[in-house]
Amino acid sequence: MDAFVKRILCLLAFVAFVLPISAQQFQKELDSLSRLMENRSLTDTATIDLRNHYTKQALFANPSDTTLLDFAEKTLEISTKMGYGRGTMLAYERLALIHQYSFSNPYKAQEFYHKALALMEKDKRLKPYGWSIYGGIGTLYYEQEEYGKALDFFKQVLKHDKNLELTATANMANIYGSINQLDSAIYYYNKALDMEQVKDNPTYKANLYSNLSLIYGQDGQVDSALVSAEKSIALIEQYGIEFVRPTAYANASMAYMGNSDYEMAEKYAKLSLELSDAQGNLFLQKSAWGTLADVYAAKGDFSNALEAYKKFSVLKDSLNGQNRRVEINRKQLEFDFEKERTVTKAEIERQTTIKRATLLGGGGLLLASVFGFMLYKRRRDDLEQKREAEFRALVSDTELKALRAQMNPHFIFNSLNSIGDYILKNDTETAMEYLTKFAKLMRMVLENSEFKEIPLSEDLKFLELYLQVESKRQPGKFSYEISVEEDLDTENIAVPPMMLQPFIENSIWHGFAQKADRGHISIGIVKQGNMLLCTVDDDGQGRQTEGYVLATKKAFGVAITESRLEILNAQKNTKGKLDIMDKGRDKGTRVEVSLPLETIF
Amino acid sequence: MTVAIIDDEQHCIDRLMHLLEPHSDHVEIVSYSTVEEGIKGVDSLRPDIVFLDVQLHDRTGFDFLSSVSYRDFSLIFTTAYEKYAIEAFKFSAIAYLLKPVDRDDFEFAFQKALDKTEQAQLHERINVLLSNVSKGNGPKRISVPHKEGYVFLLVSHVVRCQADVNYTHIFTSDGKRYTASKTLKHFEQLLDGHQFFRTHNSHLINLDFVASYHKNGYAILSDGTKIEVSTRRRDAFVKACAQH
Repeated sequence: MDAFVKRILCLLAFVAFVLPISAQQFQKELDSLSRLMENRSLTDTATIDLRNHYTKQALFANPSDTTLLDFAEKTLEISTKMGYGRGTMLAYERLALIHQYSFSNPYKAQEFYHKALALMEKDKRLKPYGWSIYGGIGTLYYEQEEYGKALDFFKQVLKHDKNLELTATANMANIYGSINQLDSAIYYYNKALDMEQVKDNPTYKANLYSNLSLIYGQDGQVDSALVSAEKSIALIEQYGIEFVRPTAYANASMAYMGNSDYEMAEKYAKLSLELSDAQGNLFLQKSAWGTLADVYAAKGDFSNALEAYKKFSVLKDSLNGQNRRVEINRKQLEFDFEKERTVTKAEIERQTTIKRATLLGGGGLLLASVFGFMLYKRRRDDLEQKREAEFRALVSDTELKALRAQMNPHFIFNSLNSIGDYILKNDTETAMEYLTKFAKLMRMVLENSEFKEIPLSEDLKFLELYLQVESKRQPGKFSYEISVEEDLDTENIAVPPMMLQPFIENSIWHGFAQKADRGHISIGIVKQGNMLLCTVDDDGQGRQTEGYVLATKKAFGVAITESRLEILNAQKNTKGKLDIMDKGRDKGTRVEVSLPLETIF
Repeated sequence: MTVAIIDDEQHCIDRLMHLLEPHSDHVEIVSYSTVEEGIKGVDSLRPDIVFLDVQLHDRTGFDFLSSVSYRDFSLIFTTAYEKYAIEAFKFSAIAYLLKPVDRDDFEFAFQKALDKTEQAQLHERINVLLSNVSKGNGPKRISVPHKEGYVFLLVSHVVRCQADVNYTHIFTSDGKRYTASKTLKHFEQLLDGHQFFRTHNSHLINLDFVASYHKNGYAILSDGTKIEVSTRRRDAFVKACAQH
């Protein structure tokens, strides 16, 4: 679970559902609450109520406000001294909320919920306020991914409390979505949407449609997904529901993508990006970039797809980093928490039998939307995996194309010309020998092109054969040597196939073209730290002397190698690079390709 | 000595005849361009070596092999790019040459064909080949060369292969161990994609026999053997197990 994301998203949801007012109005209310409190005596039950009210509103307005903890502890202290039961119970609940949403500490939250419940059990008059506590614990179960318990809870609610029917139904839909029981999820969403209570609550309705769209998409019902997404957006536009807007746009973008409507998918991903950017909501930004990468890829705009994917990856990494921290924290607490939970569980079960409370809708609604957004996150994670796999496939496709292009027609037709030349000279034996070597080389190119990485030994075999063929084509033109650092296990080192070939080709075709005497190429493979340094060093005429046409052709090989390295670096988070050094006029060129040193086993 | 060439393309026959020229003082060459001619000719002439093309019009060299009565010849297949056929040759340890045929490769294969010890159990190997190409869904049996000739194993009975320098120990589900005179790499190339996975520099295992996997880097096979899974192969291994 991603605590950081959850916090921000639940803020949107709570405010939207509990107080259907604008952010400015909300800030005004907070301000007036503060003013009201200033003018009151501290030891007044109304002040305690006000302080508790303020804490809840302020928490969801600004969850990162750490001063709230002191404020809530103070409320608890005063209320306890006064012996004001309801105030104390709600103060405990607020402390639980702060720990749950602001500090992402389920253990502490559970502890405070437990204290609040203990108070409620003592005083039956407090029962009507119990549902929000109960709901808080339910949320914790959900966070622990104990869907069964969370589901039991809402089934009970649905059975016992008519007022909370809608909330319970929506929550159950979300839970079923989370455990991938899509049919049940769709059933409960539609049930919730048919309810009377939803009719005059466009915010709730918009959120339900948005979630439903997600589930339809997951179920492969792309048409229904689009219909739901469009309904959600229509409501948002009609009522100006700002809090659901960025999420609904992100969902809509995916629905359009599912229907191959790339224009609309792009439009909504960009809108969602704009809004989430303004809010600083990294999670939605990540989602939007992910969808954009798909859209661009589908349109064949690979450079933009790559850009979008990079942004997506960066956001994903930073969000995962936060996940990990929460994970570690959670692991430490697990033991204590388990003990605590056993106690609380007994408590809750006792409560369930006595409780028949009506609840302020807010708590329940809050849960519904929190679950909705968590569901959204799960869905996104699934999509991410699929998307990454697809993107990788796309990258390999591009690589394959690049490889085929490398073995360029230039080489093939010159080889055929050479064969023709031997035939003309009646040297059929040499022609045949050359032809079979050439065939072997072509076979190797085809076989190696199938793999993203091959053992270094295979790649060296290819280079050796390539050099043999080239030296056979123009005997006496050049000599070559391949030296590999002795303790390198070439069978066990993985390299992208044929990275050096374009540079060797350049040396032979351009470096030695005008050279009167015999040229020499040294190919070297050495280990350098955690990199593999591959060099092609010739004593040809160097790069400066080459004409315009040659320069552009050369640039092609360089560009392909650079883009391959770029993809490699992005995928593996490495720093492979290409350096081309001019050793001076008529002194030759040295090319260095440095690759991450990776073993196969 | 008689050499038979069965190929439906004249230029391929010509090429082989050209390559056989240095041996012409003791070799007599016959050639056939259809399966029927080949069967008739080989049954009556009983050649020492047969060069056999894979694709023969609308039939195959395998059709020839399954119908011909006389089979005491050294066999060398020739093919341009039939991938499935090449795989079948490797499984059955049957010699083959790729077209256009390279002289060095030809000489190597020809010398092997002349060597009687290299022709050990050719009958069985041909049977393995025919059963592998006829059943579809990939080869079922494998010819494993070892010091006394060949042993023929059902792929599904091979539990794992373990490298021992240039040899490979093959462990089968009946608890036997065979030592093959080939490297593990050879078996990896052969079996990769047939439910086998290279977990480690020295281990190739049959995913059918994986009982459990432990996060600290080893797999337990159903016979209780503990096999190391190298760090770099772990993710891929778990994925392969999941998809298997």
